[in-house]
Amino acid sequence: MTSEKRPLAKKKKSVTFSDYDTVITPSISNNHAHKKRFLFSGFRRSARKDHDGSHQPVSMRKSLTTVPVHLLFLLYYYMKTFDIIKLYYMAIPSQIFYLMFQFRKNTVYGGKKLMKTNYSLLLSSFVLALPVLSLATTIIFVLCGAPLLSMDYLVKTIQLSFHCCILAFPAIYTIFNCNFKVAIFKKYFIAIMFGCWLSCIVIPLDWDRDWQEWPIPLVIGAYSGAFVGYTIGAYI
Amino acid sequence: MSQHQDSPELFDEATVRKSMNLSRRSNTTKKPVNSSDTTKNNATDFEKSDELRVYRQNTFRFRIAHTKYIFLMFFLGLLQLFAVIFFCKGFLLTRNVIGDVATFDVQLQGLSEKSFANEKNQIVFNKTVILIIDALRFDFVSPQPHSNEVYHNHFPILQNAPHSYLYKFLSDPPTTTLQRLKGLTTGSLPTFIDAGSNFNGEVIDEDNLIKQFHLNNKTTYFAGDDTWKALFDPYLSKKSKYYESLNVWDLETVDQGVMRYFDEHLTEEDEEWDVLIGHMLGVDHVGHKHGPNHHEMSTKLEQMNAFVSEQLLPKIDNDTILFIFGDHGMDHTGNHGGDSKDELETTLFVYSPKFGVTPPKSTNHDHKVVNQIDFVPTLSLLLNIPIPFNNLGWPIEDIIENSGFAQTLNQIHHYQETSKVLEGNPLLLTNLNTHFNKNEGAIYQRLFLENCKSMWAKFDLISISIGITLLSISLCLIIVITKLIPSIVVGQMVHEFVPSIIVMCMISCVSLNSIFQILNQPSFLENWKFCTLFSLAIGIIVGCCIPIFDRYTIKWMAIKFFEEINDYWSRVAVLMITLHALCFTSNSFTIWEDRIVAFLLTTIGFLTLYEFAFAPKRASTNALFTAASSRVSNMLSKTQHSTFVSSWTHRSHSPDKQHSSDLHAANEGENVSDNTASSETLPLGRFARVIGAYHSLLLILATRLASNITICREEQGTKCIPTFVNANNYSWWAMLGIFLLIWSLPTCIKGYYNISSSYQAAAPVWINQFLKSSLFLSFIYWFLNYYETTYGSLPFDAQIWKFSISRIVAGFSLVALNIGWAMGPMCIKLDLRNTDLKSQTATILGYSNVYGAQFFLLVINFVMAIMFFSKPLAQLSLFLMINQLLSILEIFDLLKLKENLIGPVTLGLLAYQHFFSTGHQATIPSIQWDTGFMLTEKITFPFTHISLILNTFGPFFIVALSVALLTLWKQPPSVLKPQTLLSRIVSNCGMLLIYNTVLCLSSFAWVTHFRRHLMVWKIFCPRFMFSCMTLLVIQVVVIFVTVAFASGRLIRQINNIFWK
Repeated sequence: MTSEKRPLAKKKKSVTFSDYDTVITPSISNNHAHKKRFLFSGFRRSARKDHDGSHQPVSMRKSLTTVPVHLLFLLYYYMKTFDIIKLYYMAIPSQIFYLMFQFRKNTVYGGKKLMKTNYSLLLSSFVLALPVLSLATTIIFVLCGAPLLSMDYLVKTIQLSFHCCILAFPAIYTIFNCNFKVAIFKKYFIAIMFGCWLSCIVIPLDWDRDWQEWPIPLVIGAYSGAFVGYTIGAYI
Repeated sequence: MSQHQDSPELFDEATVRKSMNLSRRSNTTKKPVNSSDTTKNNATDFEKSDELRVYRQNTFRFRIAHTKYIFLMFFLGLLQLFAVIFFCKGFLLTRNVIGDVATFDVQLQGLSEKSFANEKNQIVFNKTVILIIDALRFDFVSPQPHSNEVYHNHFPILQNAPHSYLYKFLSDPPTTTLQRLKGLTTGSLPTFIDAGSNFNGEVIDEDNLIKQFHLNNKTTYFAGDDTWKALFDPYLSKKSKYYESLNVWDLETVDQGVMRYFDEHLTEEDEEWDVLIGHMLGVDHVGHKHGPNHHEMSTKLEQMNAFVSEQLLPKIDNDTILFIFGDHGMDHTGNHGGDSKDELETTLFVYSPKFGVTPPKSTNHDHKVVNQIDFVPTLSLLLNIPIPFNNLGWPIEDIIENSGFAQTLNQIHHYQETSKVLEGNPLLLTNLNTHFNKNEGAIYQRLFLENCKSMWAKFDLISISIGITLLSISLCLIIVITKLIPSIVVGQMVHEFVPSIIVMCMISCVSLNSIFQILNQPSFLENWKFCTLFSLAIGIIVGCCIPIFDRYTIKWMAIKFFEEINDYWSRVAVLMITLHALCFTSNSFTIWEDRIVAFLLTTIGFLTLYEFAFAPKRASTNALFTAASSRVSNMLSKTQHSTFVSSWTHRSHSPDKQHSSDLHAANEGENVSDNTASSETLPLGRFARVIGAYHSLLLILATRLASNITICREEQGTKCIPTFVNANNYSWWAMLGIFLLIWSLPTCIKGYYNISSSYQAAAPVWINQFLKSSLFLSFIYWFLNYYETTYGSLPFDAQIWKFSISRIVAGFSLVALNIGWAMGPMCIKLDLRNTDLKSQTATILGYSNVYGAQFFLLVINFVMAIMFFSKPLAQLSLFLMINQLLSILEIFDLLKLKENLIGPVTLGLLAYQHFFSTGHQATIPSIQWDTGFMLTEKITFPFTHISLILNTFGPFFIVALSVALLTLWKQPPSVLKPQTLLSRIVSNCGMLLIYNTVLCLSSFAWVTHFRRHLMVWKIFCPRFMFSCMTLLVIQVVVIFVTVAFASGRLIRQINNIFWK
C-alpha cells in the first residue's frame, strides 16, 4: 500500500492505480503476440489510444528463478542476531542482485522481456525514491499504531520502513521502468504489508522474549511476507 | 420545523401545489402528494378514495409489522438477558456464610491444660481507638528519603512516634471499601460478587468484631463513612455520626466531622464508650478526584499528620490502644478495586503508652508485613473478647503472647470443623490435624487460609453451561432471523413469531414450573424464579424455531450462511469479529484490547482506502443486490449529483444540473468536474474515489489520534503512558480543546450534512444552536472544575452553578430535545427558481438524505448528553468519534455496502475504540465514579446511574443508535417500501447484536476455561462483566430507542410526506 503516495509522475507517463485503468481490453491486446498472458482482461472498457505505450501490458513470467532464496538467509541471519543495521548491508546488495538477475529477467513488458538494466533509473530510484517512500511507509506504520513514546521508537520505525522499501525495491524499480503500472505490482507491496500486519500478533503476548521488542516481529514479518510475495507473485 | 405525522404541513400549500403542477407538466410518474393535499387535488374522487384506502392500509400494515418487530427483538433480547443471568449465577461466586457466633467456651477449651506459666500475661486494654484513613497507601507514611513525589514524606508521625509499631498492611482483593470493611471485621475473605454491591451493603450476617463488641457489652462510637451504617447499624451506638461516602468531589466534610467527633469524645471525662472508631475519606477522595500526584494530596496528608500528632496521640492514655490503618491503597491514577501492589499495600499503626519501648522502625523498605485479616484476632485478644467465628487471620506476633496464638488456633480449627470447607480433601485434613495436634498454629493457619482462598472459587458449572448454551442459541436465532432469512420474508414471518413465542412461553412456563414444584426436577434449578427464567428461555427458543423450521431446513440455513459470508467485505467483517473474539483467549490480548481494537479499525480504514485507490473488481453479491433494488439512490449517491434533489426535477430540467454544481461547489469545496459524468458508468467514479479516499484517510487519522488518549491498565506497565490523567484533563490545552469544540463539532457535522444539501430547516437549529449552546454550557461546567482543581476554590459558590448547568444540559438534551425530535424535524427545503418566464423548477434540497439527516439529529441529542458527562479529553475523543462515524457512513454508502456485514462491525469496533479512548478500561477501578455526582450531590436512583452509564457506555449508545443510519444515510424517499426499510434497519441492528453476542459468548467461554487462572479476577472476570453490560446496553438502546422509538416514527413520517 506504499504506492498511494507515488511521488514521481513524469510527463507522458500516467500513474495508474486502479485495476480498471490498467485493464487491457481484447481489442488492444490483439496487437500483441502475448495476449493470453495478460493479467486483467475481463472487464470491458473503452480504453484511450496511447502512443507512448503506457497501456502496454506488464506481467511476470512464471519461473522458479523469481524465488528470492536470499531472503530466507537474511531472515535466518536476522533471527540469530536481531541486528537491524547490519541487515541493511546484506539486504541492499542482495536485493539489487535479485532485481538485476532474477526479477528483471522475468518481467515481460509490452510482449518483450526487459533485456537491459536501466542503471541510471536503478540509481535514481534507489537514491531518490526509497527515502521518500520509506518516509511514506513510516507514516503508514505510525498511523497503524507504531509507538511514539520516544524518539528511539521513531528511529526504529524509520529503520523498519526502510527495510520494507528495500524489500519492495524490485517492484518499485520495475514500476518506474514500466510506465507506472502500479496496479500490477501492488501485490508485492501487499504481501510485505500483510506480513507486517500478521506479525503484530506476537507483540502483545507476555512471553517477555527479546524478539518481541519493537520492531523485530515486523521486520521478520516483512521478510517472510516478501519471500512469499515474490515467490508466488507471478501466479496470482 | 415541526409537523404532525398525519397532516403534514411541510411547505406552504401554494408552493407544494406549484411543484406538483410542475411535476405533472414534466410528465413524470412521481408526485409529492400527501394525504391532506390529496383532498385539494383536482384528481377524481374515485382516484382519491382509492389512493387513500391503499395508503391507509399500508400505514396500518406498517404499524403492525413495526410493533411485532419490536416484540420479536425484545424476546430475543430477553433470551440473552436470561443467558447472562444464568451464567453470572454460576460464575460469580458466593461464599456459604455460616451464622454461628463465637464464644469463649470453644476457644479457651484445653488452654488451661497447656502451660503458659512462664510466659508473661497478655496485655489487655479496656478502650480502643480505631482511626481508618481510607486509601492510606503504605508509601504515604513510610519514609521515602530520596523521593520528590508530592505525596511522599508528608505523614511522618506514624514512623516517628514512640511506643508504637508500624506495619505494611496487606489487604486482599477486591480492594473496594465495603469488601475491606467486611474483611477487617470478620477476618474472612469476601468474594468478588460483593464488589458489585459496593453501593448498597447490607448488614453483615457473619460474626464480626463489632458484633462481638456489642455482645460483650462494649459500646462502640463511630464517626465517618456511612458504609458502616449499612453494615453494622444494630451494633453501633446511637450517638454515631455518618457522612455521605461516595461523593468524591467533597474532600473535607467527612474528615472535619470525624475530627470534631474525636475532639468531643476523646476526653478523660467521657466514659461512655469502649471502642471509638473513625473512618476518614479525605485521602481516598483526593485520590479519586485529583490522583495521588497533586498538591491537594500533600495538604491532606499534612492535615492527617497534624491531627494524629497533635490531637490523637496525646490523648491516648495507658488503658487505651490506638490503631490507625488504611483499608486499601490506590493506584497511580488514584483509583482502587483491583489487586496491584499499590492498591493492596496499606498501613497499620498500633500505639499505646503501655507498650513501653518498642524496637526502632526500619527506615528502609523492609517493614514487617501483616495480612489485613490479622487485625481481627489481634484486636479480639487485646480487648479480651472471643475471636469472631469466621476469622482466618493470625495474631500479630509483636503484640500478642503465646496464649493468644493457642486461642486463635482453637478458633480456626473450630471453624474448619464446623464449616466443613475442606471436606472433599481428606489428605489435607489429616495434614491439618497433625499441625493442630503439634500446636503449630502459624503453619496451620497459613495452610488453611491458602486452601480456603482456592476453595471459595468454586463454580456452578451447570448454570455456567446453561448460560453459554442459551447465549449460543440466541446467537444462532439472531443470525437466522436477521441475516439468513430474506428480510422480506421476515417481514411476513413476524406475524407468526410473536404469537408462537408468547404461546410457547406460557406452555413451557406452566409445564416446567409444575414439574419443578411436584417432582423437584430438574434439580439444578434452585427455586421457582430460576425455573421460570429457564422455562421462559425455552419458550422463546421453541417459539422462534417453529416458524423458522416450518419454512426452512438446517441445510438451507447452512448454505445460506456460507453464501452470506461469501463476498470479500463480509469475509473481512467475519475476520474482524473473529480476531476481536479471540482477544479473550489470552490475558495479554485482553490487556492490550484497546490497541488491538484501534489496530483493527485502522485496518478497515486501510482496506477501504485501498478499495478507493485501486477500485479492484469484486463480485459483491450484496452490492449487486443493493444496486438493483435501490438503483435510483445509487445513481444519485454515486456522483456529485447526490447533493440533492428530487429525482423528477433532476431528470426533466437540465438547467438544474448547473444549479446543483453551483450549490455543491459552495459546499466544502468539493469541486465538480464535468468529466465525472462519463465515469458514471463505472462502479466508482473518479470523483467518488477521491472523496472516499479522503473519508478513509480521515477515519485512519482520527483513529490514530483518538488512540493516544488512554488510561493505562496497571498490567500494561511501562509500555503505556497514561494520558487520560487529571493533570491532562484539567490542563489549559484540554480546556482550549473543548473550547474550540464549541465551533468545530457543529462545523464538522454541518460539512457532512452539506454533502447532501441537507443542512436545511431543522438542521441549522439543531446543530448550530442546540448543539452549540449545549457544548458551550458543558465547556463552562468543565472550566469551573478546571479552575477549582488548579487554583483552588472559586470566590462564589460554584456548586450551585455546576448543578444548574448539568441539570439544564441533561434535561434539555435527553428529555426536551427527544420530545422535539419526536415532532419530526425535517431537514429539507423547497427551492424554487425561475429559469425563464414560463416554467419554474422546484428542487427539494436535502431530498436524497431526508431519512439520514433527520435521524442523525436524534443521535446529536444523545451526543450532547454523552459529551457533557465525559471528561475534557474524552470529549475530544468523542468529537473524533462523530467524524469517524459520519465518514464510515459516507464510505459504506460510496462502496454500496449498506447491507453488508462490514458496516455494523466497523461501527462496533468504533464503539469499542472510543470506550477505551474515553478513559475507560475493562476494569473496575477505571470506572469514573466522580461523574456519577454531576447531577446530584448524593446517590439518587436514576440520576447517578444515568450519568455513570452515559459516561461509561456513551460510545456504545451512539453506535447503537447510528447503526440504523447505515441504512438511512443518503437514502432518498419513495425508493424503498417502509417495510423494506424497517427490515433492513433491523438486519443491521441484528448484525451489531451478533457482533457483541459473539464477543460476549467468547468471553463467557474463555472466562470459564480460565476459571483457575491466576489472572481470572483481575483480567478475565471484569472483561466478561463488561461484555455482559455492553451487550445489554446495546440491546436496550437498539430495541427501545433505535427501532421502537426512532425508526418507526421516522419512516412513517417520511412516508406520509413522500407517499406516492
